[in-house]
Amino acid sequence: MIRVIVLLIFSILLSGCYDRIELEQQSYVIAIGIDKTEQEGVYSFTYQIANPEIGSAAVQSGPDEPPTEIVTVNGSDILSSTYTANSFVSKKITLDHTKIIVISEELARSEDFIRVIQSASRTPQIRRSVQMLVSKEKAIDFINNNEPIMEKRPHKYYQFMLNRAVQTGIIPKSTLHRFFQITEGDADLFLAIYATTEQSDQKKNTEGFEDKYIAGEIPQIGGSPTQFMGSAVFKEGQMIDILDGEETRVAQMLDKTLEMEDYLATIPDPKMPEYRISYNYYQKKEPIININYYKNKPTEIDVNISFQVEVIAIPSLIMYSQSKKDQQTLQEALTQRLEEKTNALIEKTQNSYKSDAFYWSLYIRKHFKDIKEYEDADWHKNIYPNAKINVTYELEKMEFGKMINDSNLEDVRD
Amino acid sequence: MVRFLKKSSESPSSIEKKKVYNSLEKNIQEMKYLFSSNRNKDFSMRSLKIKFNNKEGCLFYYSSIVDGSKIDMHVIKPLLENEGNTVMNVVSIENIEETNEFSKVIQYMNSGKVILFIEEDASTYAMDVADFQHRSIFKSENEPTVKGPQDAFTESLNTNLSLIRKQLHNNQLINEGIQIGKRSINEVNMIYIKDVVNNEILEQVREKLNNISVDSVRNVELLEQYIEERPYSVIPTVLYTERPDKATSYLEDGFIVLLMDSSSACLIVPVTFWSFFHSPEDRYLRFLYGNFTRAIRLLCFYLTLMISASYVAISNFHSEMIPPDLLLAITASRERVPFPLIFEVLIMEIAFELIREAGLRIPNPLGPTIGIVGALILGQAAVEANIISPIIVIIAALSGLSSFALADLNINFMVRLMRFVFILAAGAFGMLALTGVFLLFFMYAASVKSFGVPFFSPMSPHFLSPEDTVFRKPVKKELFRPGYLYPKDIQKKSKS
Repeated sequence: MIRVIVLLIFSILLSGCYDRIELEQQSYVIAIGIDKTEQEGVYSFTYQIANPEIGSAAVQSGPDEPPTEIVTVNGSDILSSTYTANSFVSKKITLDHTKIIVISEELARSEDFIRVIQSASRTPQIRRSVQMLVSKEKAIDFINNNEPIMEKRPHKYYQFMLNRAVQTGIIPKSTLHRFFQITEGDADLFLAIYATTEQSDQKKNTEGFEDKYIAGEIPQIGGSPTQFMGSAVFKEGQMIDILDGEETRVAQMLDKTLEMEDYLATIPDPKMPEYRISYNYYQKKEPIININYYKNKPTEIDVNISFQVEVIAIPSLIMYSQSKKDQQTLQEALTQRLEEKTNALIEKTQNSYKSDAFYWSLYIRKHFKDIKEYEDADWHKNIYPNAKINVTYELEKMEFGKMINDSNLEDVRD
Repeated sequence: MVRFLKKSSESPSSIEKKKVYNSLEKNIQEMKYLFSSNRNKDFSMRSLKIKFNNKEGCLFYYSSIVDGSKIDMHVIKPLLENEGNTVMNVVSIENIEETNEFSKVIQYMNSGKVILFIEEDASTYAMDVADFQHRSIFKSENEPTVKGPQDAFTESLNTNLSLIRKQLHNNQLINEGIQIGKRSINEVNMIYIKDVVNNEILEQVREKLNNISVDSVRNVELLEQYIEERPYSVIPTVLYTERPDKATSYLEDGFIVLLMDSSSACLIVPVTFWSFFHSPEDRYLRFLYGNFTRAIRLLCFYLTLMISASYVAISNFHSEMIPPDLLLAITASRERVPFPLIFEVLIMEIAFELIREAGLRIPNPLGPTIGIVGALILGQAAVEANIISPIIVIIAALSGLSSFALADLNINFMVRLMRFVFILAAGAFGMLALTGVFLLFFMYAASVKSFGVPFFSPMSPHFLSPEDTVFRKPVKKELFRPGYLYPKDIQKKSKS
């Protein structure tokens, strides 16, 4: 008996602590960048490592210590190159706290992209909730140029920046998990965050619709050079196009699996088109998506979206709140405009992408007996591009803010 | 050795058989021999001529444990002056016993009675004039409450009984005395409500008490260790309290209370985990308030057991679980600490135990020193010396502070001991070991029984009860007594 106990105690003592590691013996990577190199199968990996001493009240750091250390090494996959990087990084590189993976547009558009990102799904170190970001420039440049002004600490910057941008709908929530889910489902398009630190030709706000930009085009004075706007479209694990902020937002409105809170936009005043009415768009209910699948004729997809609107500004000073008829006009103008935008996007996806960016294949799957039958029906090639899609918007509620009447211009200027 | 044992076992038996002689002279000699009167200074005797039968008599007593004026007024004076036919009718003492055995005489003497021998009388009279010195009733210091009675037991059986009877006016409240001990015969008083308590449990306790064969059991604190089933167990199975109101509330539910003359506390058996977890104030406070304090206490229970261990497990094995801000802060502060994290935690936990133990033992005038020195060890100074990181101070303080919310001393020690086991387990295999050890501990706790009552009843196994476990029901809705005691009358309050 005593022998057994002794054996047990020793086995516990000897096997214990085998994967124990102290916190200060690790370096925490916040962002990973992946770039192509000239050599096939070799990529350059950039790791942005947080400096723990920055922003810690307990420890006074040296005045010259930067908030992050950025290192780049060449390697074949994300994990093994961390060991190469240890030739000049002093601690074990841990990927547990990675917030984003930055991929250069060049790599994303290449066929090899799926090969290199695959290792991210295998290792338990990288969470499935890590966001995927496509940068216009090389990832190494993106990470190096990205210099937040207020949030010096990188994890805080990415956390706040992505959260807020996702809330407003100008970028999608693009987790690694969703990427693999959609890519392996072999239907639908995956939207990844599109961002850049390089300013390109700035577009004029010609149409007046606020977010018809992609990253890099927004006229900006001051602030951090990094712009997050629009999304990179991935089909079958390869990037094919870029959607602008407005299209990204529409895509999210149509997608039940993505959440967007609300956004502010303007439309031309239906009664005085030289002025523009601003409104706050809410989508409190999920869109209703009905798919009727027919074997021999085009599939019918009916989408019904109910939304709410809070009118924020009426520069024309027309009393919309006082007249039922005027409200009706405004309502029609709103739904018409939304439907136009939506139909334009759907047309684009049907004709040029041949697939949807709204994860609608989820709702057709119930019409098939097994996976094989579903794959044979072929969403990409057959069902979606030929489908008849009918999107209707329904205004649930219109509010006019806390003041019902605007100033009466005639009374003011008498 | 064997010879010695034999000898010592012989002498009491010879006294046991000895009867009181008919001759006063012989009796006096015997008494003087038994109590070593030439050396024993507080052994007193007084000879007198009794008036009512005109015979010689002699009184024996310990002057230190009797009330001198009472002897004077109610024994000596009547014997010298009053007329009558028997002793009972002459002396004015409320309690007189007659006996003719010396063994009894010794017992009576020790319990503070005065013994009267009379010439040509083969029996003696023991009159109760005991006056053992004790504190008066103080406020409950170790189990204080804000709302509720403030008095505490004191080192006097009669006072303690009166505190209980004051709250429980019931003719079924029985105070049964059981003598234990060989050399010093002490009395344990078993208190229960006759028409509620379960006879089997009562018999079990009685048997346990009767089976104690030891020279002496001085007080209930020692008695606790004689009657518990598993002396090596980390889990206590007897409840110890100094609050009469707590004792009374348990009596009402059919528990048994053990009192002794020499302790300012009582024992309550059988117990469950909940008896240790509850405080009487939970019931005195209104439903919501009481349950709020219960919730806090449950949190404290968890914190004090687990927080240090969880911290060790998470930061050594599962750093991905810590939010990045905190992670970086801990990492930054740990960069200058030379010790492994588990060692840091142990240093602080032990330091806290040191302060607690020293604070308990330190003489009152030096009390403030503990505060100053303790703050140095547990505070900024230790951090600045790079011995520990600041977050450990918070963890250790939290775990130490939480342990005080578990007021019962027994459960407090259990938690403090188990904490170290958990920390070591967490340091060996992280969360896996922590969960495993906790599970084992929990299973062990569930297997423990106190006088046949499972430790986690009435929650598991389920019993009809007032359902007073983690949270309690409104007092009006408590219909039953705890069913795990199988009380004779389970209904506490009729419905409607």
